[in-house]
Amino acid sequence: MRRRLAVGRVVLVGALIVIILIAVVAAFYLRKPAPTPAPTTAAPGPTETQPPKPVIEEIVIGMVEPLSGTHAIFGIEAKQAAELVIEDINARGGIQSLGGAKLKLVVADSKDSIEGAKLAAEELISKHHPVVIIGAYISRHTAAMAEVTEREKVILVADALVDFLSERGWKYFFRACPKTSIHGKTAMDFVYETAKKKGIEIETVAIINEDSVFGRYTALGAYHEALTLGLTVVEHIEYPYDIADASPIVSKLIEANPDVVISVPYFSDGVLIATTMEEMGFKPMIVAGAGGCGYCDPDSIAAAGSAVEGFTQTYSYNPFLDTPYNKEIVQKFQERYGKLPTEAGGIIFYSLWTIKEALELAGQMFPDDPLNPDNLRQAFLALDITSGPAAETYPSGHIKFNENGDNIYAMAVVLQVQNGEPVLVYPFEYAQAEPIFPIPGYSP
Amino acid sequence: MLELLLQNLVNGILMGCVYALVALGLALQFGVMDIINFAHGEFVMIAMYLVYWISLYLVIPGSVTSLIVAPIFFVFGLVVYKLVIDRIVGTYPLAQIAATIGLMVLLRNLALAAWRAQPRGLKYEVLRGSISLGPVVVPISRLTAAGVSIATMLALHWFLTKTRIGLALRATSDDMQAAALLGINVRKMFAVAFGLGCAIIGIAAAFIMTFQQVNPEAGLTWGLISWIIVVMAGLGGVSGVLFSGLILGVVEALEITFWDPRASLAVMYSLFILILWVRPRGLFGRR
Repeated sequence: MRRRLAVGRVVLVGALIVIILIAVVAAFYLRKPAPTPAPTTAAPGPTETQPPKPVIEEIVIGMVEPLSGTHAIFGIEAKQAAELVIEDINARGGIQSLGGAKLKLVVADSKDSIEGAKLAAEELISKHHPVVIIGAYISRHTAAMAEVTEREKVILVADALVDFLSERGWKYFFRACPKTSIHGKTAMDFVYETAKKKGIEIETVAIINEDSVFGRYTALGAYHEALTLGLTVVEHIEYPYDIADASPIVSKLIEANPDVVISVPYFSDGVLIATTMEEMGFKPMIVAGAGGCGYCDPDSIAAAGSAVEGFTQTYSYNPFLDTPYNKEIVQKFQERYGKLPTEAGGIIFYSLWTIKEALELAGQMFPDDPLNPDNLRQAFLALDITSGPAAETYPSGHIKFNENGDNIYAMAVVLQVQNGEPVLVYPFEYAQAEPIFPIPGYSP
Repeated sequence: MLELLLQNLVNGILMGCVYALVALGLALQFGVMDIINFAHGEFVMIAMYLVYWISLYLVIPGSVTSLIVAPIFFVFGLVVYKLVIDRIVGTYPLAQIAATIGLMVLLRNLALAAWRAQPRGLKYEVLRGSISLGPVVVPISRLTAAGVSIATMLALHWFLTKTRIGLALRATSDDMQAAALLGINVRKMFAVAFGLGCAIIGIAAAFIMTFQQVNPEAGLTWGLISWIIVVMAGLGGVSGVLFSGLILGVVEALEITFWDPRASLAVMYSLFILILWVRPRGLFGRR
């Protein structure tokens, strides 16, 4: 009796699993054809090289972002920013040099995985024929995607920060945002220059970073800069971002007793480290975050409260930049989505406007075949943006690509938590407020 | 150097108590029902969210929410038992693995869909700051969490050795069929064990939240640690879980301090394998 029952249950569970599998597969296939392309009438594929004076009505811009999974919070913001900017570009008359051609955004989910990003790029290219793909936020996903875009000759504009992306000799790769080592360097420079300005001497630095390739590259940027500036790195700790307890790390910092701490947090580890530092009473002159997300994110400030007061963080975008276009787009973003655009959205602002400028230039340089990938690449390389929306949303206000596809005027900004609000403090000429240094509670 | 060693012994002991408390619920369920609950870490994560939301809306410290979360989680345990566990107890291990892993994936993704990936930490918490004992800094939140862990373990030990239901639970754990023959309602015991295990998770979650944040992936960390502790302890009652937790906490803290934080999981698993190699039934196993 008991035996038969057991078998019955196994059959039941088996049947359930089969039903769920069928449902998942069905859902996948039912969902798939929904955005079937039917690429609109006049859009010629980029591979048709010699059509006489094409009439271009619509240019497809592809976007691959993590819209599901752990990093969805960034991917969704990127998508929101892209929709806003594309609307804006079209409302301002599209690409003028191409007869006012409109941009069309097609977004695909990288499913927060390397394979997913690759597949998403393949699918975008085969179905929608984008001339440019922007994405994929996570560097290793972007690297996988680049294999596809290089092969298919589609321009990839990356919104991912890790250095190695631009070191592989990819031809159709461009990155406007500052890479990780620039973030690390900016954090160290900010601390050094602020201390100098306040007449305080710093000698020792501790560097802590989460141990992904992102964290390590950023930390190495800071490490290198610290040595260049003649500082002593007394401690360098790398840790896995999902640590359950930060007190051993903080104890090590207390023992090393550095003047300043440069920290590359990932996400929730930053909050854990900040609260543990507060609890254990560890207060260096400053804890300067590097790497585009961490201590000054609104979510982190909400989660960590007073523990992050005075902490700083470098970002690839500065929502408080005082230029007409930046103010306008930030206001629009806030009205529509009810929050301040952060790193993920900000990179998209200037990256998309850079793409727009490149398309304009391609229309002027190659009126016969502006969307040919090699012509478009030439246009990207010829860009020197110092005005307009792209410049007005970029930290340094200047975008010009080198052969690797990196912006030679790349720069990060530094925000500081002051009275529970993120405030721009560096570069000094754009700053909203004086940096607080040393942070409250510091005792030598 | 000595100070650093002392400090990290304290860090390790305090965290070890917390690890033991998190694993205690799993140990109870595993011991009584012989069931492999892979969703344990996700239960901890859900409880942590519950602590966060209750603390936020009722404006009470997270530590106090344990009084509310523990009973809610007892009921949660009963419901999960009725819906899922009751159907797979005593069946093939594969069915148990499939069902509880399914539960794990379901809970994690529900959490991700409902609350997004941002970390959430308590807004109201009285357990802040630290006390200094000579050169050693003791964070109050972890000290309290460790104290509550030990109190909970003592209470469970008393319950299992001194009350009728507790004795019945242990009888069921020792020999299910003999217990059933003696008139113990085994299924009811299972439900009680599962509910009680979940209630302990509720208490643990409240005190973890006094120093940690929760995000939908948090279950992974706590689930792994719990599994190591339960297998390391063997089925040796409450003290085995406590000592295994302490060993793990101290080893982790010392490893992070004197070697490399990146190797902490590797070291913990090496220790785990070593112990299983030397003592296949766990350090404190009775059978």
